[in-house]
Amino acid sequence: MKSLTALDQLIESLRCLPGVGPKSAQRMAYHLLQRDRNGAQHLAMSLQNALSRIHHCLKCNNFSESEVCDLCASGKRDAHQLCVVEMPTDLLMLEQTQTYHGMYFVLMGRLSPLDGVGPKEIHLDRLLKRAQDGEVQEVILATNYTVEGEATAHYVGELLKARGLKVSRIARGLPMGGEIEHVDIGTLAQAMMERRSLR
Amino acid sequence: MAVIRQDNKPVYVLHTYPFRETSLVVELFTREFGRISALAKGARRPRAAMRGMLQSFQPLIATWSGKAELKNLHGVEWRGGLHVLHGQALICGFYLNELMLRLLPREDAHEALFEHYEEALRALARDEEQSIVLRRFETRLLQELGYALPLDHEAESATPIEPEQWYCFVLERGPVRLEAGESGVQLLGKTLLDMGLDDYSDPQTQLQSKQLMRALVSHYLGDKPLHTRQLLIDLQQL
Repeated sequence: MKSLTALDQLIESLRCLPGVGPKSAQRMAYHLLQRDRNGAQHLAMSLQNALSRIHHCLKCNNFSESEVCDLCASGKRDAHQLCVVEMPTDLLMLEQTQTYHGMYFVLMGRLSPLDGVGPKEIHLDRLLKRAQDGEVQEVILATNYTVEGEATAHYVGELLKARGLKVSRIARGLPMGGEIEHVDIGTLAQAMMERRSLR
Repeated sequence: MAVIRQDNKPVYVLHTYPFRETSLVVELFTREFGRISALAKGARRPRAAMRGMLQSFQPLIATWSGKAELKNLHGVEWRGGLHVLHGQALICGFYLNELMLRLLPREDAHEALFEHYEEALRALARDEEQSIVLRRFETRLLQELGYALPLDHEAESATPIEPEQWYCFVLERGPVRLEAGESGVQLLGKTLLDMGLDDYSDPQTQLQSKQLMRALVSHYLGDKPLHTRQLLIDLQQL
C-alpha cells in the first residue's frame, strides 16, 4: 500500500472536525498551504498548546489550565451550593444570568442508556466525592429537561439524597414574556402539572 | 414513481441520533407502519420547530415521506396527553425502547403492539408496579413478533397446563413436564396460566415469570447485553 503523503495526512486529519467531509477538508488544506501559511503555523501551535495545557479541573471537572480552575479557586463563591450541569456551555449560560454565586460540577455529558453512556462516562464517582467535601449543603441539578437529562437528574439526586444532602432541581415552565397562546403544548402541559400555590 | 407521503400518523420516538451538524436521525414507532427511521433535517438548530418535540415517551403525530429505508421527517405535533415518567419509571421506559429497537424489524406493522406500548407507558406514568408492567409488555412483544410462547398447553402437544405441576420451559419450544429431564427455566404450571390470564398478583408468579422472561428476552437478543440493564447494575455499585 502506498504510504500517505503529508498533504493526504493533513486532509485526513481535518476530517476529524464536525461537519467536515472530504471535499471541505481538501479545500481547507489547500487554503492553509497556499494562502495562509502563517495562519496554519499559528493553528498548529495553538492546538499543540491547548492539548498539553488544558485538563479537567480537579474540583468542578470543567476544562482548566490550572489544576483547579479560576472559578473554583475564587474565594468569592458560595461553597455551600453546588450546581450540576451537563456541559461547559451550560455553565457559561448560568453565569450570564448573574443569579447564582455557588460552585459547579460539569458532568461532560448525560446518562443515555440507549447509547451506552453510564455513570462512569459522566464521572458520577467524582461528583459524589466533590459533593461530600463537608462544605456543600445544597446540590442544584441543572441538567437539561430532555428524557436523558431527567434520568440523570433523578439518579444523581437519589445518590446525593442517600448521602444526606439537600437536593433541588431547576424549575421549568413558561419562558420570560411567554404568552399562553403561543407557547408549545408540551411546556404548557408541564406548567399546568407543576403549578405552584401563590405565596 | 410518486413519493409516498404519510400525513399526521400517530408515533412515538424510540431514540434519536445526531446526524451531521444540525440534523437528527429519529427512530419512530408508528401505529400503521411499525418501526421506521427518519431524517429530521435541521432539527438541532436552536430555533427549529421540531427541537424539543422529538422526545421519547410523548404521544406525537408525524408527517414523513420517502421510499428508502431512511424517510424524511417533515413535521411533528403534539397528539395531546402526556406520559410523565419519573425516576425508575423513566429507566423502565428506556428499557421498553431498547427492547423495541433491538427486536422489532423495520417497517413491519404491529398495530396491536402500538396499543400495548402506549398502555405500558400510561401504566408507568401512573406509577403502577413496574415489574408487572414490564412482564406484560415483554410477553406481548414476543407474542406479537411471532415467537413461540405457549402458556396454556405443553410444547408440541395439546395437553393443558396443570397449575400444580412443575414444568421446564425449553427455549424455542415451550413448557415440558419437569420429569422429561430437559434443561430450561423451571416453573410451576400456575405461573404460566397466570401469565396467560395477565394476573400477576401472586408473588411466586412475579418471580418465576421474571426468570422466564429474562431467559427468553436474552435468548432472542443474542450476545449483546442490554444497555439499560447494565446501567442499573453500574448505578447500584456507586
